[in-house]
Amino acid sequence: MTVYETDVPGVGKKFEVDVGGGARAVVLLHHDGRVELFRRPDADADSEKVFELTSQQANYLGSILEGAYFETVDMDRLSVPLGDAIIEWVDITDASPVAGRTLAEADLRAVSGISVIAVQRGPDTVPNPGPDFRVEPGDILVTLGTREQQSVFADRCQGGDATIDGVDDGAGADGTDGA
Amino acid sequence: MAATESLLLAAGVMFATLAVGGALASRLDQSVIPAYIVAGVLVGPNAPEIAGQSLILVQQQEFITLLQELGIVLLLFFIGLEFDLSSLLRRREAVTRAAGVDLLLNAGAGFALGYAFGFGLVESVLLAGATYISSSAIITKSLIELGWIADPEAEAILGVLIAEDLVIAVYLALLTAVALSGGTLASALVPLGISVAVIAALVALATVGTPLVARALDTDADELFLLRIVAAVTVVAGVALALGVSEAVAAFFLGAAVGGTEHAHRVERVITSERDLYAAVFFFAIGLGTDPGALGAVAVPLAALVAVTVVTKLVSGYLGAAAYGLTERRRVRMALAMVARGEFSLVLAALAVTAGLDPQLTALIVGYVLAMSILGTVLMRLSGRVEALVARLRGGAGDGATPS
Repeated sequence: MTVYETDVPGVGKKFEVDVGGGARAVVLLHHDGRVELFRRPDADADSEKVFELTSQQANYLGSILEGAYFETVDMDRLSVPLGDAIIEWVDITDASPVAGRTLAEADLRAVSGISVIAVQRGPDTVPNPGPDFRVEPGDILVTLGTREQQSVFADRCQGGDATIDGVDDGAGADGTDGA
Repeated sequence: MAATESLLLAAGVMFATLAVGGALASRLDQSVIPAYIVAGVLVGPNAPEIAGQSLILVQQQEFITLLQELGIVLLLFFIGLEFDLSSLLRRREAVTRAAGVDLLLNAGAGFALGYAFGFGLVESVLLAGATYISSSAIITKSLIELGWIADPEAEAILGVLIAEDLVIAVYLALLTAVALSGGTLASALVPLGISVAVIAALVALATVGTPLVARALDTDADELFLLRIVAAVTVVAGVALALGVSEAVAAFFLGAAVGGTEHAHRVERVITSERDLYAAVFFFAIGLGTDPGALGAVAVPLAALVAVTVVTKLVSGYLGAAAYGLTERRRVRMALAMVARGEFSLVLAALAVTAGLDPQLTALIVGYVLAMSILGTVLMRLSGRVEALVARLRGGAGDGATPS
Protein backbone atom coordinates (compact mmCIF):
# COMPACT_ATOMS: atom_id res chain seq x y z
CA MET A 1 0.00 0.00 0.00
CA THR A 2 1.27 3.46 -0.88
CA VAL A 3 0.99 6.48 1.37
CA TYR A 4 1.52 9.76 -0.48
CA GLU A 5 3.08 12.39 1.74
CA THR A 6 3.44 16.05 0.74
CA ASP A 7 4.47 19.20 2.55
CA VAL A 8 1.87 21.94 2.24
CA PRO A 9 3.75 25.21 2.71
CA GLY A 10 2.24 27.42 5.38
CA VAL A 11 -0.30 24.78 6.33
CA GLY A 12 1.32 21.52 7.37
CA LYS A 13 1.56 18.01 5.95
CA LYS A 14 -0.79 16.10 3.70
CA PHE A 15 -1.11 12.32 3.52
CA GLU A 16 -3.13 10.40 0.95
CA VAL A 17 -4.02 6.73 1.18
CA ASP A 18 -5.89 4.60 -1.37
CA VAL A 19 -8.97 3.20 0.32
CA GLY A 20 -10.34 1.09 -2.54
CA GLY A 21 -12.69 1.75 -5.43
CA GLY A 22 -10.48 4.59 -6.65
CA ALA A 23 -11.26 6.60 -3.52
CA ARG A 24 -8.61 8.18 -1.38
CA ALA A 25 -8.52 9.26 2.23
CA VAL A 26 -6.74 12.59 2.57
CA VAL A 27 -5.37 13.58 5.95
CA LEU A 28 -4.23 17.14 6.47
CA LEU A 29 -2.05 17.71 9.55
CA HIS A 30 -1.98 21.40 10.37
CA HIS A 31 1.09 22.92 12.02
CA ASP A 32 -1.08 23.81 15.04
CA GLY A 33 -1.97 20.15 15.58
CA ARG A 34 -5.48 20.23 14.10
CA VAL A 35 -6.27 17.37 11.74
CA GLU A 36 -8.68 17.49 8.84
CA LEU A 37 -9.86 14.29 7.21
CA PHE A 38 -11.17 14.32 3.65
CA ARG A 39 -12.47 11.67 1.33
CA ARG A 40 -11.97 11.95 -2.40
CA PRO A 41 -14.34 9.51 -4.17
CA ASP A 42 -12.27 9.41 -7.38
CA ALA A 43 -9.28 11.14 -8.90
CA ASP A 44 -11.31 13.85 -10.58
CA ALA A 45 -13.79 14.47 -7.78
CA ASP A 46 -13.63 17.14 -5.10
CA SER A 47 -12.38 16.14 -1.70
CA GLU A 48 -15.23 16.10 0.78
CA LYS A 49 -14.36 17.03 4.32
CA VAL A 50 -15.35 14.22 6.64
CA PHE A 51 -14.44 15.84 9.94
CA GLU A 52 -11.95 17.97 11.77
CA LEU A 53 -10.21 16.85 14.97
CA THR A 54 -8.14 18.44 17.67
CA SER A 55 -4.72 16.86 18.07
CA GLN A 56 -5.89 14.93 21.13
CA GLN A 57 -8.97 13.57 19.36
CA ALA A 58 -6.76 12.63 16.43
CA ASN A 59 -4.42 10.69 18.76
CA TYR A 60 -7.33 8.70 20.19
CA LEU A 61 -8.78 8.01 16.77
CA GLY A 62 -5.36 6.99 15.49
CA SER A 63 -4.80 4.45 18.25
CA ILE A 64 -8.28 3.01 17.72
CA LEU A 65 -7.68 2.61 13.99
CA GLU A 66 -4.34 1.01 14.78
CA GLY A 67 -6.02 -1.48 17.14
CA ALA A 68 -3.82 -0.27 19.95
CA TYR A 69 -6.41 1.53 22.02
CA PHE A 70 -6.68 0.44 25.67
CA GLU A 71 -8.76 2.04 28.31
CA THR A 72 -8.06 1.22 31.96
CA VAL A 73 -11.22 0.01 33.67
CA ASP A 74 -11.98 0.73 37.29
CA MET A 75 -12.25 -2.82 38.77
CA ASP A 76 -14.29 -1.68 41.80
CA ARG A 77 -17.15 -0.69 39.57
CA LEU A 78 -17.30 -3.93 37.62
CA SER A 79 -20.27 -6.11 38.59
CA VAL A 80 -20.49 -9.81 37.96
CA PRO A 81 -24.04 -11.08 37.34
CA LEU A 82 -23.83 -13.35 40.41
CA GLY A 83 -22.65 -10.65 42.74
CA ASP A 84 -19.07 -11.39 43.74
CA ALA A 85 -19.37 -15.07 42.95
CA ILE A 86 -17.82 -16.79 40.01
CA ILE A 87 -18.19 -20.30 38.66
CA GLU A 88 -15.20 -22.64 38.31
CA TRP A 89 -14.68 -26.11 36.97
CA VAL A 90 -12.38 -28.15 39.25
CA ASP A 91 -10.82 -31.49 38.21
CA ILE A 92 -10.67 -34.09 40.97
CA THR A 93 -7.56 -36.27 40.81
CA ASP A 94 -6.68 -39.46 42.75
CA ALA A 95 -4.50 -37.36 45.02
CA SER A 96 -7.26 -34.94 45.85
CA PRO A 97 -8.32 -35.10 49.53
CA VAL A 98 -11.93 -34.79 48.40
CA ALA A 99 -11.82 -37.93 46.28
CA GLY A 100 -13.79 -40.81 47.76
CA ARG A 101 -15.75 -38.65 50.21
CA THR A 102 -19.33 -37.52 50.20
CA LEU A 103 -20.00 -33.81 49.96
CA ALA A 104 -21.23 -33.89 53.54
CA GLU A 105 -17.99 -35.50 54.71
CA ALA A 106 -15.88 -33.03 52.80
CA ASP A 107 -18.01 -30.21 54.21
CA LEU A 108 -16.73 -27.91 51.52
CA ARG A 109 -18.93 -25.00 52.43
CA ALA A 110 -17.53 -24.83 55.94
CA VAL A 111 -13.94 -25.35 54.83
CA SER A 112 -13.64 -23.05 51.80
CA GLY A 113 -17.03 -21.41 51.50
CA ILE A 114 -17.82 -22.68 48.02
CA SER A 115 -20.98 -24.51 46.93
CA VAL A 116 -20.98 -27.42 44.50
CA ILE A 117 -23.72 -26.64 42.00
CA ALA A 118 -23.13 -29.59 39.64
CA VAL A 119 -20.81 -32.51 39.04
CA GLN A 120 -19.71 -33.72 35.65
CA ARG A 121 -18.91 -37.43 35.54
CA GLY A 122 -17.97 -38.63 32.08
CA PRO A 123 -20.74 -37.73 29.69
CA ASP A 124 -23.25 -37.21 32.55
CA THR A 125 -23.94 -34.09 34.48
CA VAL A 126 -25.42 -34.35 37.96
CA PRO A 127 -27.12 -31.08 38.75
CA ASN A 128 -27.42 -29.84 42.31
CA PRO A 129 -25.83 -32.91 44.03
CA GLY A 130 -27.06 -33.78 47.56
CA PRO A 131 -24.89 -34.01 50.71
CA ASP A 132 -24.53 -37.79 50.32
CA PHE A 133 -23.13 -37.52 46.79
CA ARG A 134 -19.78 -39.29 46.77
CA VAL A 135 -17.01 -37.57 44.80
CA GLU A 136 -14.79 -39.84 42.70
CA PRO A 137 -11.46 -39.27 41.01
CA GLY A 138 -12.04 -37.96 37.45
CA ASP A 139 -15.10 -35.99 38.44
CA ILE A 140 -15.31 -32.32 37.56
CA LEU A 141 -16.95 -30.22 40.25
CA VAL A 142 -18.76 -27.11 39.10
CA THR A 143 -18.40 -24.76 42.03
CA LEU A 144 -19.81 -21.37 42.93
CA GLY A 145 -17.97 -18.95 45.22
CA THR A 146 -15.91 -15.79 45.41
CA ARG A 147 -12.54 -15.64 43.72
CA GLU A 148 -10.80 -16.15 47.09
CA GLN A 149 -12.98 -19.07 48.06
CA GLN A 150 -12.39 -20.65 44.67
CA SER A 151 -8.65 -20.31 45.02
CA VAL A 152 -8.65 -21.86 48.51
CA PHE A 153 -10.71 -24.76 47.19
CA ALA A 154 -8.55 -25.22 44.09
CA ASP A 155 -5.40 -25.29 46.25
CA ARG A 156 -6.94 -27.88 48.41
CA CYS A 157 -8.13 -30.14 45.60
CA GLN A 158 -4.95 -29.98 43.60
CA GLY A 159 -2.20 -29.54 46.21
CA GLY A 160 -2.57 -33.27 47.05
CA ASP A 161 -0.72 -33.25 50.41
CA ALA A 162 -2.71 -30.41 51.94
CA THR A 163 -4.84 -31.79 54.75
CA ILE A 164 -8.36 -30.72 55.39
CA ASP A 165 -7.25 -29.24 58.68
CA GLY A 166 -4.45 -27.29 57.03
CA VAL A 167 -6.82 -25.86 54.50
CA ASP A 168 -9.27 -25.14 57.24
CA ASP A 169 -6.65 -22.98 58.93
CA GLY A 170 -5.84 -21.25 55.68
CA ALA A 171 -9.47 -20.53 55.00
CA GLY A 172 -9.84 -19.15 58.48
CA ALA A 173 -6.82 -16.94 57.98
CA ASP A 174 -8.32 -15.68 54.73
CA GLY A 175 -11.41 -14.71 56.65
CA THR A 176 -13.72 -16.68 54.41
CA ASP A 177 -15.47 -18.53 57.22
CA GLY A 178 -18.18 -16.03 57.54
CA ALA A 179 -18.95 -15.93 53.85
CA MET B 1 1.47 62.73 29.68
CA ALA B 2 -0.88 64.20 27.12
CA ALA B 3 1.24 62.74 24.35
CA THR B 4 1.11 59.27 25.91
CA GLU B 5 -2.63 59.45 26.33
CA SER B 6 -3.20 60.48 22.74
CA LEU B 7 -0.86 57.74 21.52
CA LEU B 8 -2.68 55.08 23.45
CA LEU B 9 -6.03 56.36 22.28
CA ALA B 10 -4.85 56.48 18.66
CA ALA B 11 -3.68 52.87 18.99
CA GLY B 12 -7.05 52.00 20.53
CA VAL B 13 -8.96 53.57 17.65
CA MET B 14 -6.71 51.81 15.17
CA PHE B 15 -7.14 48.34 16.67
CA ALA B 16 -10.87 48.86 17.23
CA THR B 17 -11.37 49.85 13.58
CA LEU B 18 -9.29 46.86 12.49
CA ALA B 19 -11.34 44.54 14.72
CA VAL B 20 -14.63 45.80 13.27
CA GLY B 21 -13.31 45.70 9.70
CA GLY B 22 -11.95 42.17 10.14
CA ALA B 23 -15.24 40.96 11.62
CA LEU B 24 -17.23 42.45 8.73
CA ALA B 25 -14.90 40.90 6.15
CA SER B 26 -15.20 37.45 7.73
CA ARG B 27 -18.98 37.82 7.84
CA LEU B 28 -18.94 38.56 4.09
CA ASP B 29 -16.59 35.59 3.41
CA GLN B 30 -14.00 38.07 2.25
CA SER B 31 -10.28 38.45 2.77
CA VAL B 32 -9.42 40.74 5.67
CA ILE B 33 -6.76 42.62 3.69
CA PRO B 34 -9.06 45.04 1.81
CA ALA B 35 -11.06 45.55 5.02
CA TYR B 36 -7.93 46.60 6.92
CA ILE B 37 -6.96 49.04 4.16
CA VAL B 38 -10.44 50.58 4.09
CA ALA B 39 -10.32 50.85 7.90
CA GLY B 40 -7.14 52.91 7.55
CA VAL B 41 -8.70 55.15 4.91
CA LEU B 42 -11.84 55.73 6.98
CA VAL B 43 -10.16 56.99 10.17
CA GLY B 44 -6.92 58.33 8.69
CA PRO B 45 -5.80 61.79 7.55
CA ASN B 46 -7.79 61.40 4.33
CA ALA B 47 -11.00 60.39 6.08
CA PRO B 48 -14.19 61.61 4.41
CA GLU B 49 -16.30 64.31 6.05
CA ILE B 50 -19.75 63.25 7.06
CA ALA B 51 -22.27 66.04 7.83
CA GLY B 52 -19.46 68.55 8.34
CA GLN B 53 -17.80 66.26 10.87
CA SER B 54 -14.37 65.00 9.94
CA LEU B 55 -13.70 61.37 10.80
CA ILE B 56 -9.95 61.88 11.17
CA LEU B 57 -9.02 59.94 14.31
CA VAL B 58 -5.57 58.60 13.59
CA GLN B 59 -2.65 60.46 12.05
CA GLN B 60 0.27 58.83 10.28
CA GLN B 61 2.46 58.55 13.36
CA GLU B 62 5.86 57.20 14.13
CA PHE B 63 4.57 54.35 16.25
CA ILE B 64 2.40 53.18 13.37
CA THR B 65 5.36 53.35 11.01
CA LEU B 66 7.31 51.14 13.39
CA LEU B 67 4.53 48.57 13.76
CA GLN B 68 4.03 48.65 10.00
CA GLU B 69 7.71 47.85 9.45
CA LEU B 70 7.46 44.99 11.95
CA GLY B 71 4.46 43.77 9.95
CA ILE B 72 6.43 43.76 6.70
CA VAL B 73 9.47 41.98 8.09
CA LEU B 74 7.43 39.39 9.99
CA LEU B 75 5.27 38.69 6.91
CA LEU B 76 8.39 38.12 4.84
CA PHE B 77 10.06 36.17 7.64
CA PHE B 78 7.13 33.74 7.65
CA ILE B 79 7.16 33.42 3.88
CA GLY B 80 10.85 32.54 4.13
CA LEU B 81 10.08 30.13 6.96
CA GLU B 82 7.61 28.24 4.79
CA PHE B 83 9.84 28.41 1.74
CA ASP B 84 10.44 24.84 0.69
CA LEU B 85 13.07 24.48 -1.98
CA SER B 86 12.74 20.69 -2.08
CA SER B 87 9.10 20.92 -3.18
CA LEU B 88 10.23 23.08 -6.10
CA LEU B 89 13.00 20.69 -7.04
CA ARG B 90 10.72 17.68 -6.87
CA ARG B 91 8.53 19.00 -9.70
CA ARG B 92 11.33 20.97 -11.32
CA GLU B 93 10.10 20.80 -14.89
CA ALA B 94 6.45 21.57 -14.14
CA VAL B 95 7.35 24.44 -11.81
CA THR B 96 9.79 25.96 -14.28
CA ARG B 97 7.19 25.99 -17.04
CA ALA B 98 4.30 27.16 -14.85
CA ALA B 99 6.35 29.86 -13.11
CA GLY B 100 7.94 30.96 -16.39
CA VAL B 101 4.56 31.59 -18.06
CA ASP B 102 3.39 33.27 -14.86
CA LEU B 103 6.34 35.68 -14.80
CA LEU B 104 6.31 36.41 -18.51
CA LEU B 105 2.60 37.18 -18.81
CA ASN B 106 1.92 39.01 -15.57
CA ALA B 107 5.09 40.98 -15.04
CA GLY B 108 5.14 41.69 -18.77
CA ALA B 109 1.59 43.06 -18.72
CA GLY B 110 2.32 45.24 -15.67
CA PHE B 111 5.49 46.62 -17.20
CA ALA B 112 3.91 47.35 -20.59
CA LEU B 113 0.87 49.04 -19.04
CA GLY B 114 3.10 51.07 -16.68
CA TYR B 115 5.04 52.33 -19.66
CA ALA B 116 1.83 53.04 -21.56
CA PHE B 117 0.48 55.05 -18.60
CA GLY B 118 3.58 57.27 -18.88
CA PHE B 119 5.50 56.01 -15.83
CA GLY B 120 9.30 55.93 -15.83
CA LEU B 121 11.42 52.78 -16.02
CA VAL B 122 11.75 52.13 -12.26
CA GLU B 123 8.02 52.80 -11.71
CA SER B 124 7.11 50.45 -14.52
CA VAL B 125 9.36 47.70 -13.14
CA LEU B 126 7.75 48.17 -9.74
CA LEU B 127 4.27 47.92 -11.27
CA ALA B 128 5.39 44.74 -13.04
CA GLY B 129 6.21 43.23 -9.63
CA ALA B 130 2.83 44.29 -8.23
CA THR B 131 0.87 42.64 -11.04
CA TYR B 132 3.10 39.55 -11.04
CA ILE B 133 2.94 38.41 -7.44
CA SER B 134 -0.20 36.60 -6.29
CA SER B 135 -1.18 36.77 -2.64
CA SER B 136 -0.03 33.68 -0.73
CA ALA B 137 -1.97 34.87 2.34
CA ILE B 138 -5.34 35.22 0.61
CA ILE B 139 -4.96 32.17 -1.61
CA THR B 140 -3.74 29.77 1.10
CA LYS B 141 -6.58 30.84 3.38
CA SER B 142 -9.18 30.28 0.66
CA LEU B 143 -7.63 26.91 -0.25
CA ILE B 144 -8.16 25.77 3.33
CA GLU B 145 -11.65 27.18 3.65
CA LEU B 146 -12.85 25.70 0.36
CA GLY B 147 -11.19 22.34 1.03
CA TRP B 148 -9.16 22.55 -2.22
CA ILE B 149 -6.09 22.10 -0.07
CA ALA B 150 -6.73 18.34 -0.18
CA ASP B 151 -6.99 18.26 -3.99
CA PRO B 152 -4.19 17.96 -6.56
CA GLU B 153 -4.51 21.59 -7.72
CA ALA B 154 -3.25 22.76 -4.31
CA GLU B 155 0.20 21.35 -5.05
CA ALA B 156 0.42 23.25 -8.33
CA ILE B 157 -0.96 26.48 -6.87
CA LEU B 158 1.36 26.44 -3.86
CA GLY B 159 4.27 25.41 -6.06
CA VAL B 160 3.86 28.45 -8.28
CA LEU B 161 3.34 30.69 -5.24
CA ILE B 162 6.65 29.51 -3.79
CA ALA B 163 8.40 30.06 -7.10
CA GLU B 164 6.96 33.59 -7.10
CA ASP B 165 8.32 34.16 -3.59
CA LEU B 166 11.80 33.25 -4.72
CA VAL B 167 11.60 35.43 -7.84
CA ILE B 168 10.23 38.37 -5.88
CA ALA B 169 12.96 38.07 -3.21
CA VAL B 170 15.66 38.46 -5.85
CA TYR B 171 13.63 41.13 -7.66
CA LEU B 172 13.03 43.11 -4.44
CA ALA B 173 16.71 43.01 -3.57
CA LEU B 174 17.65 44.42 -6.96
CA LEU B 175 14.78 46.90 -7.14
CA THR B 176 15.37 48.26 -3.62
CA ALA B 177 19.02 48.89 -4.39
CA VAL B 178 18.09 50.71 -7.60
CA ALA B 179 15.06 52.60 -6.28
CA LEU B 180 16.70 53.83 -3.08
CA SER B 181 19.85 55.03 -4.82
CA GLY B 182 18.21 57.47 -7.20
CA GLY B 183 16.89 55.22 -9.91
CA THR B 184 19.76 54.80 -12.33
CA LEU B 185 21.72 51.62 -12.83
CA ALA B 186 25.08 53.38 -12.58
CA SER B 187 24.38 54.88 -9.16
CA ALA B 188 22.98 51.54 -8.02
CA LEU B 189 26.10 49.48 -8.66
CA VAL B 190 27.51 49.85 -5.14
CA PRO B 191 24.16 49.25 -3.37
CA LEU B 192 23.63 46.27 -5.67
CA GLY B 193 27.01 44.89 -4.63
CA ILE B 194 26.13 45.31 -0.94
CA SER B 195 22.74 43.67 -1.51
CA VAL B 196 24.36 40.68 -3.15
CA ALA B 197 26.89 40.40 -0.29
CA VAL B 198 24.26 40.64 2.47
CA ILE B 199 21.99 38.15 0.76
CA ALA B 200 24.88 35.79 0.09
CA ALA B 201 25.69 35.90 3.81
CA LEU B 202 22.07 35.13 4.71
CA VAL B 203 21.86 32.33 2.14
CA ALA B 204 25.03 30.85 3.66
CA LEU B 205 23.33 31.04 7.05
CA ALA B 206 20.28 29.28 5.59
CA THR B 207 22.32 26.48 4.06
CA VAL B 208 25.50 25.70 6.00
CA GLY B 209 24.70 27.78 9.09
CA THR B 210 21.62 25.82 10.15
CA PRO B 211 23.21 24.22 13.26
CA LEU B 212 24.31 27.68 14.40
CA VAL B 213 20.78 29.08 14.00
CA ALA B 214 19.30 26.05 15.75
CA ARG B 215 21.63 26.49 18.74
CA ALA B 216 20.98 30.22 18.98
CA LEU B 217 17.24 29.57 19.26
CA ASP B 218 17.47 26.67 21.66
CA THR B 219 15.48 27.52 24.79
CA ASP B 220 12.67 25.87 26.73
CA ALA B 221 10.71 29.02 27.50
CA ASP B 222 8.34 30.25 24.77
CA GLU B 223 8.82 33.78 26.06
CA LEU B 224 12.58 33.70 25.52
CA PHE B 225 12.08 32.04 22.18
CA LEU B 226 9.73 34.81 21.06
CA LEU B 227 12.22 37.47 22.12
CA ARG B 228 15.08 35.77 20.32
CA ILE B 229 13.13 35.46 17.08
CA VAL B 230 11.87 39.05 17.16
CA ALA B 231 15.36 40.27 18.09
CA ALA B 232 16.97 38.33 15.25
CA VAL B 233 14.41 39.52 12.70
CA THR B 234 14.58 43.19 13.69
CA VAL B 235 18.38 43.28 14.00
CA VAL B 236 18.96 41.58 10.65
CA ALA B 237 16.27 43.64 8.88
CA GLY B 238 17.47 46.86 10.53
CA VAL B 239 21.12 46.28 9.62
CA ALA B 240 20.08 45.40 6.08
CA LEU B 241 18.04 48.58 5.72
CA ALA B 242 20.89 50.67 7.14
CA LEU B 243 23.11 49.19 4.41
CA GLY B 244 20.52 50.05 1.77
CA VAL B 245 19.41 46.42 1.36
CA SER B 246 15.73 45.49 1.30
CA GLU B 247 14.72 44.67 4.90
CA ALA B 248 11.95 42.46 3.52
CA VAL B 249 14.40 40.32 1.58
CA ALA B 250 16.73 40.04 4.57
CA ALA B 251 13.79 38.88 6.68
CA PHE B 252 12.82 36.40 3.98
CA PHE B 253 16.23 34.72 3.95
CA LEU B 254 16.46 34.75 7.74
CA GLY B 255 13.08 32.99 7.73
CA ALA B 256 14.45 30.40 5.31
CA ALA B 257 17.40 29.88 7.67
CA VAL B 258 15.10 29.26 10.65
CA GLY B 259 12.83 27.13 8.46
CA GLY B 260 15.70 24.69 8.00
CA THR B 261 15.90 23.99 11.74
CA GLU B 262 13.62 21.98 13.99
CA HIS B 263 12.32 25.26 15.42
CA ALA B 264 10.16 26.02 12.38
CA HIS B 265 6.93 24.63 13.85
CA ARG B 266 7.53 26.41 17.11
CA VAL B 267 7.80 29.73 15.30
CA GLU B 268 4.43 29.04 13.69
CA ARG B 269 2.95 28.22 17.07
CA VAL B 270 4.48 31.02 19.12
CA ILE B 271 4.82 33.94 16.73
CA THR B 272 1.93 33.71 14.26
CA SER B 273 -0.24 35.97 16.41
CA GLU B 274 2.47 38.67 16.47
CA ARG B 275 2.75 38.49 12.72
CA ASP B 276 -1.03 38.79 12.29
CA LEU B 277 -1.17 41.79 14.61
CA TYR B 278 1.60 43.76 12.93
CA ALA B 279 0.54 42.74 9.43
CA ALA B 280 -2.91 44.17 10.20
CA VAL B 281 -1.22 47.44 11.19
CA PHE B 282 0.75 47.33 7.94
CA PHE B 283 -2.45 47.13 5.86
CA PHE B 284 -4.04 49.80 8.04
CA ALA B 285 -1.05 52.10 7.49
CA ILE B 286 -1.38 51.60 3.73
CA GLY B 287 -4.97 52.82 4.14
CA LEU B 288 -3.81 55.82 6.23
CA GLY B 289 -1.56 56.90 3.37
CA THR B 290 -4.27 56.46 0.75
CA ASP B 291 -6.33 59.40 -0.45
CA PRO B 292 -9.63 58.22 -1.98
CA GLY B 293 -9.41 61.27 -4.24
CA ALA B 294 -6.10 60.02 -5.62
CA LEU B 295 -7.73 56.65 -6.28
CA GLY B 296 -10.40 58.45 -8.29
CA ALA B 297 -7.72 60.21 -10.33
CA VAL B 298 -6.19 56.88 -11.41
CA ALA B 299 -9.55 55.20 -12.08
CA VAL B 300 -9.00 54.74 -15.82
CA PRO B 301 -5.50 53.20 -15.67
CA LEU B 302 -6.66 51.17 -12.66
CA ALA B 303 -9.58 49.69 -14.61
CA ALA B 304 -7.28 48.85 -17.52
CA LEU B 305 -4.69 47.29 -15.18
CA VAL B 306 -7.32 45.15 -13.43
CA ALA B 307 -8.96 44.04 -16.67
CA VAL B 308 -5.71 43.02 -18.36
CA THR B 309 -3.99 41.34 -15.41
CA VAL B 310 -7.06 39.35 -14.39
CA VAL B 311 -6.92 37.81 -17.85
CA THR B 312 -3.15 37.28 -17.79
CA LYS B 313 -3.34 35.51 -14.41
CA LEU B 314 -6.25 33.37 -15.58
CA VAL B 315 -4.25 32.34 -18.63
CA SER B 316 -0.98 31.74 -16.77
CA GLY B 317 -2.80 29.83 -14.02
CA TYR B 318 -4.55 27.65 -16.60
CA LEU B 319 -1.33 26.93 -18.47
CA GLY B 320 0.53 26.37 -15.20
CA ALA B 321 -2.01 23.73 -14.16
CA ALA B 322 -1.61 22.13 -17.58
CA ALA B 323 2.16 21.98 -17.00
CA TYR B 324 1.41 20.05 -13.80
CA GLY B 325 -0.72 17.65 -15.86
CA LEU B 326 -4.00 18.55 -14.14
CA THR B 327 -7.42 17.91 -15.67
CA GLU B 328 -9.50 20.59 -17.38
CA ARG B 329 -11.63 21.35 -14.34
CA ARG B 330 -8.64 21.70 -12.04
CA ARG B 331 -6.94 23.97 -14.57
CA VAL B 332 -9.92 26.30 -14.39
CA ARG B 333 -9.67 26.24 -10.61
CA MET B 334 -5.99 27.07 -10.54
CA ALA B 335 -6.63 29.90 -13.02
CA LEU B 336 -9.24 31.39 -10.67
CA ALA B 337 -7.12 30.83 -7.57
CA MET B 338 -4.08 32.73 -8.82
CA VAL B 339 -5.95 36.01 -9.47
CA ALA B 340 -5.76 37.44 -5.92
CA ARG B 341 -2.97 39.96 -5.32
CA GLY B 342 -2.30 41.25 -1.84
CA GLU B 343 0.41 41.70 0.74
CA PHE B 344 3.42 41.54 -1.58
CA SER B 345 2.07 44.14 -4.00
CA LEU B 346 1.50 46.38 -0.99
CA VAL B 347 5.10 45.88 0.17
CA LEU B 348 6.02 47.26 -3.24
CA ALA B 349 3.62 50.19 -2.78
CA ALA B 350 5.33 50.93 0.56
CA LEU B 351 8.69 50.76 -1.19
CA ALA B 352 7.44 53.28 -3.78
CA VAL B 353 6.60 55.67 -0.92
CA THR B 354 10.00 55.17 0.77
CA ALA B 355 11.86 55.71 -2.46
CA GLY B 356 9.87 58.86 -3.22
CA LEU B 357 8.51 57.52 -6.51
CA ASP B 358 5.49 58.98 -8.34
CA PRO B 359 2.60 59.12 -5.78
CA GLN B 360 0.20 58.14 -8.54
CA LEU B 361 1.96 54.77 -8.69
CA THR B 362 1.27 54.13 -5.00
CA ALA B 363 -2.38 55.07 -5.40
CA LEU B 364 -2.62 52.81 -8.44
CA ILE B 365 -1.14 49.80 -6.62
CA VAL B 366 -3.31 50.29 -3.52
CA GLY B 367 -6.44 50.56 -5.66
CA TYR B 368 -5.25 47.53 -7.59
CA VAL B 369 -4.81 45.41 -4.46
CA LEU B 370 -8.23 46.49 -3.15
CA ALA B 371 -9.83 45.33 -6.40
CA MET B 372 -7.76 42.16 -6.89
CA SER B 373 -7.97 40.88 -3.30
CA ILE B 374 -11.77 41.06 -3.41
CA LEU B 375 -12.04 39.83 -6.99
CA GLY B 376 -9.67 36.92 -6.31
CA THR B 377 -11.61 35.76 -3.28
CA VAL B 378 -14.95 36.05 -5.09
CA LEU B 379 -13.69 34.18 -8.16
CA MET B 380 -12.53 31.26 -6.01
CA ARG B 381 -15.92 31.04 -4.34
CA LEU B 382 -17.69 31.13 -7.70
CA SER B 383 -15.50 28.37 -9.11
CA GLY B 384 -18.35 25.86 -9.25
CA ARG B 385 -20.31 28.05 -11.65
CA VAL B 386 -17.26 29.00 -13.69
CA GLU B 387 -16.29 25.35 -14.05
CA ALA B 388 -19.81 24.49 -15.24
CA LEU B 389 -19.76 27.42 -17.67
CA VAL B 390 -16.38 26.41 -19.10
CA ALA B 391 -17.56 22.82 -19.45
CA ARG B 392 -20.66 24.00 -21.36
CA LEU B 393 -18.66 26.34 -23.60
CA ARG B 394 -16.16 23.58 -24.28
CA GLY B 395 -18.96 21.16 -25.00
CA GLY B 396 -20.62 23.65 -27.36
CA ALA B 397 -17.36 24.48 -29.10
CA GLY B 398 -16.58 20.80 -29.43
CA ASP B 399 -19.96 20.08 -31.08
CA GLY B 400 -19.49 22.88 -33.55
CA ALA B 401 -15.91 22.13 -34.44
CA THR B 402 -15.92 18.38 -34.75
CA PRO B 403 -18.63 16.61 -36.74
CA SER B 404 -18.21 13.40 -34.73
